[in-house]
Amino acid sequence: MKSVQLFCWHFMAYPYLAKDFDEKEYTGWVTVPNSLWDNNKARGLYQEYIDQLVYADELGFDGMVLNEHHQNIYGLMPSPNMIAAALTQNTSRGKIIVLGNLLPLHLNPMRVAEEYAMLDQMSNGRLVAGFAPGGGPETFNYDVPSANTREKFWEAADLIVRSWTEDGPFAHEGRYFPLRYVNLWPKPLQKPFPPVWIPGSRSPSTMTEVAKRGYCYFLSSRSHGGETHRAQQEFAAVLEKHGDPYHPFRFGILMSTYVAETDQQAREECEEGVWYFLKNCLKGHLRRVGRQLTYGPGVPYIPAAAWREYMKGYTPGRKLLGDVENWEELEASQSIIVGSPETVTRRIQNLIEKAKVGNLLIQFQLGNMPDHLARKSMKLFAEKVAPALRHASLKQFTEEYPGINFEQSAEAVH
Amino acid sequence: MSGRIIEVNQRKVQVLENGSGAPLLYLHGFADIHSVKESWLPFHEQLAKHARVIASAHPGCAQTDENKDIDTIEDVVFHYLEVLDALKLTQFDLVGNCVGGWIAAELAVRHPEKICKLVLIGASGLFVQGALIGDIFMMAQPEYGSSYASLREMLFSSADHPMALEMFPDGKGELEDEVRRYQMLRLSSRIGFKPPYFYNRSLRNRLHRITSPTLVIWGEKDNFVPRSHGETYAKLIPNGSELRIISGAGHSAHL
Repeated sequence: MKSVQLFCWHFMAYPYLAKDFDEKEYTGWVTVPNSLWDNNKARGLYQEYIDQLVYADELGFDGMVLNEHHQNIYGLMPSPNMIAAALTQNTSRGKIIVLGNLLPLHLNPMRVAEEYAMLDQMSNGRLVAGFAPGGGPETFNYDVPSANTREKFWEAADLIVRSWTEDGPFAHEGRYFPLRYVNLWPKPLQKPFPPVWIPGSRSPSTMTEVAKRGYCYFLSSRSHGGETHRAQQEFAAVLEKHGDPYHPFRFGILMSTYVAETDQQAREECEEGVWYFLKNCLKGHLRRVGRQLTYGPGVPYIPAAAWREYMKGYTPGRKLLGDVENWEELEASQSIIVGSPETVTRRIQNLIEKAKVGNLLIQFQLGNMPDHLARKSMKLFAEKVAPALRHASLKQFTEEYPGINFEQSAEAVH
Repeated sequence: MSGRIIEVNQRKVQVLENGSGAPLLYLHGFADIHSVKESWLPFHEQLAKHARVIASAHPGCAQTDENKDIDTIEDVVFHYLEVLDALKLTQFDLVGNCVGGWIAAELAVRHPEKICKLVLIGASGLFVQGALIGDIFMMAQPEYGSSYASLREMLFSSADHPMALEMFPDGKGELEDEVRRYQMLRLSSRIGFKPPYFYNRSLRNRLHRITSPTLVIWGEKDNFVPRSHGETYAKLIPNGSELRIISGAGHSAHL
C-alpha cells in the first residue's frame, strides 16, 4: 500500500490583465482579444512557471501536472508536451502527468502516441499519459464537431495504446482515423505502457469506458462537496461491475490550496490571486456572467437521452464556481482550501477520508499570484501538510483496502 | 393530421402529414416543427389547405433515429432518397427552411425530375465570400446563465419577437421542446459545425441543374443566413427563380 499521492498542478494563467478586465471584457476564453497580450511583461513568464514546477519536484511532491488549453487566459499551454519536455530535463524524481492531450483535436492521434513515447523515454519512465476529449471552448477553437467527439476520442485512445503495446507495422481500420502503417518509433519505456488517466465529469459512460480499460479516473470538478464522494461511489460501483475492486489510486481529483503561517495571513496573501482566478480566468468557463462555453446545447456531445436526464435536474442561471460573491461562499464550495498548515491539513484530510481518493492534483499558483507567494505556499505545504496527509492516508488506505494490488490493471485492454 | 413512424434502412423515421391534394414535402429548420415543436405551426396549417403536407423529422431529430454515420450533407441527402422511396413520392413540391432548405437544394440538383415546385426559405448551403453563415452553436450557449436572447435574435427579427420568446424562452423551456432543440443542434453539428459551416462549396456550380420553378424567400433581417445567400440562390437557379424579401421578418421568415 502507499500513501496519498500529492501532485503539483500548474495551469499557467496569463497574469497581466488590467484591474478592469472583468468590467471591460466579455470573456476570458476563445474570443478574448489577444491584443491584451503584453510582451514586455510576459517575457520570462514560462520560465517562472516551469521553475515553480521544478521547485515542486525539489520539495518532494510526487509529480507535476500539466494540461492543454487553447485561446484563453486560464491556461497558456496549447501544447503541454513542450512544458513536459522541459521538465524531463530539469527534474529527476516526480511523475510528469499530462492531463491530457486533447485527442479529437488531432488529425492523426499517432502524433500523441509518438510525443508521449518520447516523453516517457526522455523522463526515464515518469510519464502519466492523460487523454481528454476537450470541452466546449476547444470545440469552438478547433472546430471539432461535438456529436461524434466521444467516439473519436475512444478510437484515438485505443489506437495510441495499441501502438504502444502491439508490434508494428499494422493497419488501423478505424472509423475516424484509418491508417495503413502504424509503426511507432520510439516505443514508450514503461511496460506494458505508461499509466493512462482519463478525466470525466461523472458521466456513467466515461466511467464505464475507463473501467473497461483499467485506467485511472480523474474527476474534473473544481468543487468538492458531497459530489466528489458520490463520484467516487459511482466509479467504485462501475469498477465492481467489471470485476475490478476500487482502490484510491484509481481515482484522482483537482483542488486548489494556499498555505501560510496563519489562517488570517493565508487569506490576505492569496486573495488577490484567488479573485483574479475566479473572476477573470473562469469567465466564459465556470461563470454565468458573459457566455458560458463549457456546457450547453451548442456543444451537443452527449446523446439526446442523456441530455434529457441532464435537463431534468438543470436549474437555469445557477451559480458556478466563478460566481461566488464572497469568501464565505468560496469556502463552502470546497474548491480552494486556504489557511494555516493545521487548517489545510484538517480540511484535506477530511476530503481524503470521505472521498477515498489517492491522487490529489493540487493547484498552488492561482491567477496572478506572485512567484514568491506561490513558492512559500508550496514549501509550507510540503513541510507541514504533506507529512500528516501521507501518514494518515497510509493508515486509512491500509485499513480500508487490505491486500489490494494498486498498480494499474491494464490487461483489460484489447 | 396524422403522424406515423416508418422504417427506412432499419431506422425509424417520424413522418407527420396534414391536408390533402398534391404532395408537398416540408424540410424543417431550427425554429420549426420537429426541431422545437412537436406539431404543426400556423404556417404549415395554411399550407395544408392547399396540399398534402408531409414533414419528416431529420435523422436524430424528434422521434427519428440518430444515424452516427452522418458526416456530411451528402449522407442526409441519401437518407431522404430512402425516405422518398418509402413514402412512394416520385413527384412532389418541396419546401425547405434553413438546413431543410439546404437539403432541398441538394435534392433538387440531384433529382430535378422529382421536384414540381421548389421553395427555399432562408436556406443555408451556399458559400458566399465575405458573408459567413452565423455561429448558431455559440449563440445556443446561455448568456448570463439563462438568456437565449442572442439565439432568438439569430433566428428571428428580434430577441423579443413573441414567437421567438415562445420557442426559445430564457431559462428552461418545456422539457421535450428543449430535447428537440438539442437534437437539431446535434445533427447540425455533424454537418454544419466543422468547416464547411453549413455549406457545400460544390452546390453553387450545380444549381443550374434545377428545372422546377423556384421561389426563394428571405427575411429582410436574416441574422443567420445573410440575404446575399438568397440573392445567390435566386441568381443561379435558372428556371423562373424569384427572390421575395419579407419586410420586417428575420431568419424564420415563414413564421
